[in-house]
Amino acid sequence: MYRAIRTAALASLLTSVAAVAVTVPAAAADKTFSVGALNPVSGAGGTYGTGMQKAIILAAEEINAAGGACGTRIAVVAEDTQTSPEAAVLAAKKLVEVNKVQVVMGTWSSGVTLAVMPITTAAGVPLMNTSGAPAISTEDKEDLVWRFQATNGRFGQAFSEIAALRGFQRPATMAYNNASGLGNTEGFEQAWTARGGRLVSKVVYEPKQASYRSELQQILAANPDVVVMGSYLPDTTIILREWFQSGENPDLKWIIPGWAANEKLVEALGPEVTAGIIAVDSISNENAPSYARFGEAYARATGEPAGANVYAAMTYDMMILWGLAMQASCPDLAPRAINARLRAVDDPTGEAVYGFAEGKAALEAGKTINYEGASSQLALDEYGDVTPDFSLSVITDGKIVRERVVSLGVK
Amino acid sequence: MEAYLLAVAVIALIYTLLTLGLNLQYGFTGLINFGVVGFFAIGAYTSGLTVLAGWPLPVGLLLAALAAALASWPVGLLSLRLRIEYFAIVMLGYAETIRLVVTSESWLTGGVRGIAGIPSTSAALGLQADPTLVTFAITLAAVVAVILVTRHLIASPFGRVIRAIRDDEDAVRALGKHPGRFKVTVFVLGNAVAGLAGALYAHYITYISPDQFVSLLTFYIWVAMIMGGAGRIGGAVVGTVVLMVFVEGSRFVRDVMPGVAEVEMSSIRLGVIGLALMLLMRFRPQGILGTKGNP
Repeated sequence: MYRAIRTAALASLLTSVAAVAVTVPAAAADKTFSVGALNPVSGAGGTYGTGMQKAIILAAEEINAAGGACGTRIAVVAEDTQTSPEAAVLAAKKLVEVNKVQVVMGTWSSGVTLAVMPITTAAGVPLMNTSGAPAISTEDKEDLVWRFQATNGRFGQAFSEIAALRGFQRPATMAYNNASGLGNTEGFEQAWTARGGRLVSKVVYEPKQASYRSELQQILAANPDVVVMGSYLPDTTIILREWFQSGENPDLKWIIPGWAANEKLVEALGPEVTAGIIAVDSISNENAPSYARFGEAYARATGEPAGANVYAAMTYDMMILWGLAMQASCPDLAPRAINARLRAVDDPTGEAVYGFAEGKAALEAGKTINYEGASSQLALDEYGDVTPDFSLSVITDGKIVRERVVSLGVK
Repeated sequence: MEAYLLAVAVIALIYTLLTLGLNLQYGFTGLINFGVVGFFAIGAYTSGLTVLAGWPLPVGLLLAALAAALASWPVGLLSLRLRIEYFAIVMLGYAETIRLVVTSESWLTGGVRGIAGIPSTSAALGLQADPTLVTFAITLAAVVAVILVTRHLIASPFGRVIRAIRDDEDAVRALGKHPGRFKVTVFVLGNAVAGLAGALYAHYITYISPDQFVSLLTFYIWVAMIMGGAGRIGGAVVGTVVLMVFVEGSRFVRDVMPGVAEVEMSSIRLGVIGLALMLLMRFRPQGILGTKGNP
């Protein structure tokens, strides 16, 4: 009898241990949250996509290392958009339907974002992107789309702010004929005319020409004191070279977006041609600890400096901000519930936090937080677009010297 | 999973429509059309704009086919004067011209910004159903209709003449037939099908911009037709399915091969498609369903 009881007790003990042993990993496995990384790994965005994807994974690792968000581990499922709307639609369908991801992040070109939006929104899945097109804000009817890159219109506003600061009177614009180039100069025109200014001339040029002499002549004939560019590096190089060679309007100034007016431009043209060029860029939050942490992890993972890929910092922030929103929304981890919390962890009145672990601790202590990202201060506006600060730099003796920070403020 | 497969099937069916149109032109008549994507674009923009302006979907689809047919009429007349190879180059340029017109006429087409928010098929028809499912049904119906019409056409006296033109144009002339009219008709018909495919694409993706209509698509369609077997209706279908299995299937290869990163996979994908095409051309130049002797 005694033996029987002992055997039974032992057996029940063993089975319960076994049951615990089995249920623990099962429970942990249940508690993973699938995130879709949908990046331009190949195609036109190929230079950035790899880094963007790695940044999402780095951020997910950071969240998991801090014990996960709301006790849940992040699992990243990666896909390639091929920088093509059609391929991206199928990739998004796969992520949502097959991999059951509950948020999609990292679409890069506007075309891809606009094509993927209807799919994610129909499934109730938020989409985080780094695209510039204004239509993204207006098509986002359910507040499920978030933009971590300054819109082209904001760049235009920054240009106008800077042109006014510098006291220019007769601006002209030159734009590369694509959505981003036009967005920059049209944003400028809008902000500039709203100030009561006027443009002396504007030119839109076709991509990939060997020479832009006729477009340049058209601009120079109007005798502007500054030319605002919506351009890329290769065409900017040609235009500036031809301007300098022509010897006309030697005092003309240029306002050029930072992705075109960079070290490579100086390298190609030399310090004499580039002297006095005004470079405008949205600034990564370079002095924030979040940028330092990201930069170190990124350099370790890719062997490249974080500055080489501005979009990587944006996708990193997407994942961290999402993780914090999950923590804030705990225990309700439905995508829409988390989505509704994104602004709450980016609250300008909250305590500034610079990383997931720090933010999680503050949230657990019942505080309101404001995540200061690696890419910008974030500050998501009513459209779900970030409001980064801009830098005004002047190229002097072949060096890009930052003069000041231009803040457009939260609108 | 079903919803994803359905989405792949919709794209595959749209490609099938394009391949069927091209097959009629090249497989049966010997017209080398390197401008498929141009007529596809015309269809997409025509229907997208028509339905956005408030017209019903059937009108949009009809106008898309009509616009593509009209646009191919003048250039089709060229096919009477130009020999095969020259015509091929003209078509490549024509498709690029269409893309440039779309890019430049931004008052109508939105230019480089494209057109966002095109009503999906279900929204345009006022249905509550899943847009993928509705598009699938309409596209499938279109594919079946095009296959039936093509079969009927090929079996008719008209079909015999166009196949004779493909095999020996001078012989047809010697028999007293005038090849020109037949070639233009086939050319216009095939491009109308491409226009219809473009319309369905616009209402499926709901966003169109000029950079979606580049020559790569034309060559995808050629690859599908050659793999399946030119001059065979079934070949068009099989070729497109094989192409889609390669393009989309490679996504899943990575799920079972965890060591391969997405970055590497995108390169492997292109490599595998290229290799498969080369092997096919080496060991079965007439295509999967093709018979020896046909082009």
